[in-house]
Amino acid sequence: MISMKLIDVKNVWKIYNEGYENEVRALADVSLEIDRREFVAIIGQSGSGKSTLMNILGCLDVPTYGEYYLDGQLASEMSDAQLSKIRNREVGFVFQGFNLIPALTALENVELPLAYQGVFGSKRREMAMEALERVGLAERYDHKPSQMSGGQQQRVAIARAISTRAPIIMADEPTGALDSKTGRHVLEILHGLHDEGTTVILITHDNKIAATAERIVRISDGKIVQDCPREEAEL
Amino acid sequence: MNVMQSFKMAIKSITDNKARSVLTMLGIIIGVAAVIIMVSVVQGSNRWTQEYYEMQGTNKVTINAYVYSGQNITEELSNYCKGISEYVAGFTPNGYYGGSGIKYKTNNTENMEYGSPSIYLGSDQYSLCNNFTLEKGRDISPLDVKNENQVVVLGARVAEFLFGVSDPIDQTVTIGGYPFTVVGVYAAKDPNSDYSQDNMAVVPYSLNRLLNQGSSSFSNFTVKATGREEANIAVTMITGFLSGLIPNGTGDYWVQSENQWQESDEEYTRQMSLIVGGIAGISLLVGGIGIMNIMLVTVTERTREIGIRKAIGGSRKSIIMQFLIETAVVCCCGGFIGVVLGYLGTVVVGKLLLDMFLLPSVGMTIGAVGFSVVLGIIFGMYPAVKASGLQPVEALRAD
Repeated sequence: MISMKLIDVKNVWKIYNEGYENEVRALADVSLEIDRREFVAIIGQSGSGKSTLMNILGCLDVPTYGEYYLDGQLASEMSDAQLSKIRNREVGFVFQGFNLIPALTALENVELPLAYQGVFGSKRREMAMEALERVGLAERYDHKPSQMSGGQQQRVAIARAISTRAPIIMADEPTGALDSKTGRHVLEILHGLHDEGTTVILITHDNKIAATAERIVRISDGKIVQDCPREEAEL
Repeated sequence: MNVMQSFKMAIKSITDNKARSVLTMLGIIIGVAAVIIMVSVVQGSNRWTQEYYEMQGTNKVTINAYVYSGQNITEELSNYCKGISEYVAGFTPNGYYGGSGIKYKTNNTENMEYGSPSIYLGSDQYSLCNNFTLEKGRDISPLDVKNENQVVVLGARVAEFLFGVSDPIDQTVTIGGYPFTVVGVYAAKDPNSDYSQDNMAVVPYSLNRLLNQGSSSFSNFTVKATGREEANIAVTMITGFLSGLIPNGTGDYWVQSENQWQESDEEYTRQMSLIVGGIAGISLLVGGIGIMNIMLVTVTERTREIGIRKAIGGSRKSIIMQFLIETAVVCCCGGFIGVVLGYLGTVVVGKLLLDMFLLPSVGMTIGAVGFSVVLGIIFGMYPAVKASGLQPVEALRAD
């Protein structure tokens, strides 16, 4: 039987410039569990440590202390190559600044994680087009990021995140750079993915957006100060 | 991500950034072309020197010997040289007739465009010593020398001037008013030169008395040694012989191997090759540093891209591979263009400077390209290795 527990963070610390005068404790003794198919919003003020937590959850960064298990595997001790594999197969990222490669077209950007996975030729193109269709941008497949609006770029980024059919989507302020209407559309897509069984972790400072999640985790000064279902959260 | 994928990505990156790629290549192009042209020209000038000496006749030993009393030492010297045939292949006195030209019917060599020919007085081994080969007829024989036969062997330029297309053999020409029978014609040595070595004629040295009014002794001789080492031995042996023949105070002599000129010329070109090769190598190194510089900027500029690639699953290996292939392709293209320019430049410079058809050697070409590609890859790889080692989150923070 597959364990429901997908993410298990145990007493994680992230300390920058440890031992120096400018030491910063971005995360201090954080423990967190997230089950499969949850829709969790991690909220907090700017500088609270929420992005640092997402970077560790998404294996973009490693904790200074503590353990992090992703799907039962100890991610905090993995090699660079193993982490690359995890990022490629387990997690899809959506960033506030989109993070598309400017020289590549929408389709090529979406194809990239599949290329790293070793999917070739028409199969790769088919999967990438399917992801673009999913976000309503199939007809813009040959446009470069500079030829698209912010909302369209973010949808391409979502298409890239879902192209490998990763079980987790991590979105860091995905609507931060978008107008409210486009932001709503992006959220709808994330909810649609959640409805289909994807675990969604949403990082935001916006309470309205957090309110669409099932569970709220609030971070302040690098510590989790609240972790409860949306209904119980003070937003 | 396999090599093919990395290759496609690298090509795409190169074509997406044409100006940057061309600038990167420029260092390699100039470096490779410079190495090829400079080294080829030095090698060409080396070949030119070698050919010059070979035309003159290699392994020559020059003897200057003079007895104050005017005693003729030609026969003694000739006999001594015959006795050391292990080291000496040929011997000839170097006489010279300084009078007017050679006449045949109405043709007079004094009217030749680049001056009248040199008329030498030599032995039957004159041609061997001075690297002439017969084209027609026969050479001067020992009997001609012994009997003072009035025979002459003409250089190609002279034969052509006096006789045109008709056969000169057995025709009679006059030298200093005396009739001489043409017995042979030497093959042309340097037909294209204005002051050609073929503008000459040889008569038996025993005719010295006839042509030069009374003087019968020679003070200058040429010996053809059997080899390079043998030339040095011959110098020592002949010097020893002359020291006995011409005791102190009775005359003067010196014996010298002509090879030493060739050797010093060869040493000079060897040193030139090293200097030029060094300069060319430095220009390649500078080209390589140029690549590193541009790759460093490129990688810094693309640190964010590296972060994105790592975030979506690109491994360190695949990112290094992409940059490695990118650099290798740029270097190889640059190297190829450099080779083409280097070959063209070598042909042009060879023609202009040395009037020779020069082609760079394959080994040197491969060396220059190999060196530049290896240099480019090493220098180009360093920044990529550095950037790919960053945590994705650090790379993503880059602007």
